[in-house]
Amino acid sequence: MFSLQHVNKQFSEKFVLRDFSFQIAAGDKVNISGRSGIGKTTLFRLLLGFEKPDSGCISFENEPLTDVLAWNVRRRVAYVSQDLNIGRGKVQAFFDDTLSLKVNLPHKHNSQPEIKQFLNQFELPESILDKNTEELSGGEKQRIAIINALLLKRCIFFLDEVTSALDKSLKTKVIDYFLLNPDFTVLYISHDNYFPAGIELKTLKLG
Amino acid sequence: MNGAQDLSAFSMFMCGLLLLIPLLVVWHFKLGLTKNLLVSTVRMAVQLVLIGFFLEYIFKYNNWIINLLWFLVMIVSAVFSVVKNSDLKLNHFIFPVLSSFIIANFFVVLYFNYFIVNLSFILDAKYMIAIGGMVLGNSLRSNVVGLGDFYKALRKDEQFYFYKLSLGATKYEALLHFAKMSFVAALNPTIATMATMGIVSLPGMMTGQILGGSVPLVAIKYQIAIMIAILASTVLSIGLSILFTVRYSFHKNGILKKTIFAK
Repeated sequence: MFSLQHVNKQFSEKFVLRDFSFQIAAGDKVNISGRSGIGKTTLFRLLLGFEKPDSGCISFENEPLTDVLAWNVRRRVAYVSQDLNIGRGKVQAFFDDTLSLKVNLPHKHNSQPEIKQFLNQFELPESILDKNTEELSGGEKQRIAIINALLLKRCIFFLDEVTSALDKSLKTKVIDYFLLNPDFTVLYISHDNYFPAGIELKTLKLG
Repeated sequence: MNGAQDLSAFSMFMCGLLLLIPLLVVWHFKLGLTKNLLVSTVRMAVQLVLIGFFLEYIFKYNNWIINLLWFLVMIVSAVFSVVKNSDLKLNHFIFPVLSSFIIANFFVVLYFNYFIVNLSFILDAKYMIAIGGMVLGNSLRSNVVGLGDFYKALRKDEQFYFYKLSLGATKYEALLHFAKMSFVAALNPTIATMATMGIVSLPGMMTGQILGGSVPLVAIKYQIAIMIAILASTVLSIGLSILFTVRYSFHKNGILKKTIFAK
């Protein structure tokens, strides 16, 4: 699905990726690890076309990741960032905004029962929909961002430390949800060592 | 018409004395503005005197070509000022912002002259240059806020913009949030001024008209019309400036060009 070949990327003097090659196939579950500040997030940004490699080749479904293809990748990948910059306003409005984007409109119809089901699944009360995003705790924001990504009904997930503010049982629940689904291709950055038994987990160690 | 009383040389001298108050404060508190204050005062005086002579001829001849050209000169200098004060690169922004200002200000001024004042000669110097100047001056101020903030927010909040793109937003969909914020920032001062108008401040145009001999009620009608014209030109010029400039300010992959900033 994604392939990186001899990719180099450096910021000022510091190499983030040096002669880096890796293949990601459909259905893969990949844990990206490495000490903080090493540039794990940069990898996501490269794959989404927000950064360009200094040299080397990145491809998506056997096509080189050009400026044009990057737009396509962004419509195929559900990305949950670490910043949790989910804007201002009511939580319901946040979901509505996402589903009102032209490319997501087909999923808007009948999304309400689904939102409620996800809230329930990730242990959030339905009343949270009327709350302002500023009032949410870190853990609540993380789960809202995860639900927002799931509403897109995409099969590729880039998850950047999305469970860092959750308690242990919720962490397990979220990680299980993504890693146990055979249809999902998941790249995730996490400092937790937990992963469910019986899955084949690829590890990508940076640095 | 009994115009305002002329100011004699002695009056202007008395006015100069009044300048001693700000000068003393600036000097005493070492605000470091003495030079700027003096240079600006002299510049203002020289520019206005020159413009005064110039406008006398423009009003006297009232030729539509000269009127048009002069309004264009006003627009061009306003655009330079907008781009410079927004900390954006001149060569990159001058043409899109100029196009936006020409469309927005010509539309509003011509509409004003034709539909509101019912002039038979809609390029009349007095109206075109006076009304145009007020509309343009306000467009300028609100575009410095609106356009400048738009790009500053985009640079500061790039993560949010990326997040929107990653959700599948087109460039325009992702920029909508930033455009809304800049409309709010640009419109707020005008809306606040309108709410206190007449009580806190007698606007310059009304003052001018009353001193010039107009009945207050006529001056008030003009003031209401001009404030609404200002709102219209503000919204139009900011909308168009954003629309015209975003075409050139992003790489093909949707990333903001960092080279557009002057600083």
